[in-house]
Amino acid sequence: MDIQLKRGLLDICVLAAIKGEDSYGYQIIKDMKPYVEISESTLYPILRRLESAKLLTVRNAEHNGRLRKYYHITDLGLKRIEDFKDVWQEIISIYNFVTREEDK
Amino acid sequence: MNKQQFLAELRKHLFGLPQDDIKQPLDYYAEIIDDRIEDGISEEDAVSDIGDPKEIAKQILIDIPLPKLIKQKIKPKRRLKVWEIVLLALGAPVWLPIIIAVVAIILSVYVVFWSVVASLYAVNLSVAFCGVAGVVGAIIYISMGKTAEGMFALGAGILCIGLAVLMFFGFNQITKGLLWASKKVLQGVKSCFVKGDVK
Repeated sequence: MDIQLKRGLLDICVLAAIKGEDSYGYQIIKDMKPYVEISESTLYPILRRLESAKLLTVRNAEHNGRLRKYYHITDLGLKRIEDFKDVWQEIISIYNFVTREEDK
Repeated sequence: MNKQQFLAELRKHLFGLPQDDIKQPLDYYAEIIDDRIEDGISEEDAVSDIGDPKEIAKQILIDIPLPKLIKQKIKPKRRLKVWEIVLLALGAPVWLPIIIAVVAIILSVYVVFWSVVASLYAVNLSVAFCGVAGVVGAIIYISMGKTAEGMFALGAGILCIGLAVLMFFGFNQITKGLLWASKKVLQGVKSCFVKGDVK
């Protein structure tokens, strides 16, 4: 898949992974695994990018005597997911147009 | 490799970055490794699945904006101590001339390059001028009735014009080569100051 496209899609996936409730790095990777493979070293820059774009916030919480970073989606992040859905509708209709000849 | 070795290796490759930029990835990978171990994966596997710390460090460096990287390179890693400042001031008679010499050498390399280019075209121009002069001379000789001399001058003049045209194309190539070489020299000098890291 085109790298630029995949990067954008992974951003949305990570946002979707923390949409329901706050989550942490390892859990995000596990939740995404059935749908899309993402490595730890791929996730790290995405989290940093989403944080600096204010699409998510980070808080530290104690877990088993150590600190764990939990990621919380912001309103801006939620909006990004909605925007993505709209864009995807457009892409589906473009796909339908592209493949219309093949169906005949 | 165990967790501590992995983190130490990662820290080593991130050396020189601002404290925050080192701490953040280290915290992240420490947490991931701990979570993997908690999930029942052995420490060895938990670490090795993450990948090569050198590669990970490279990726982190790539994501850091260039101005920040450069600033980090130029800024001293720590505050200068008083005796170091004194030494720098006292040493000025030594290091100042050295810097001036280095700058002068770079400048002279450029001057040499450009003067070679200038002289090449000067030669070209003079050969072309000889050619024109030869043809003009030939016309004068012939009009004076000196046919043999006129023919000689005409031949020489046309030869020179031909030579000048050929030289022009040759010299253009040489100039291109010299420009390329001078760029390489400058890059070489630059790379002495910005060692390794991400381009």
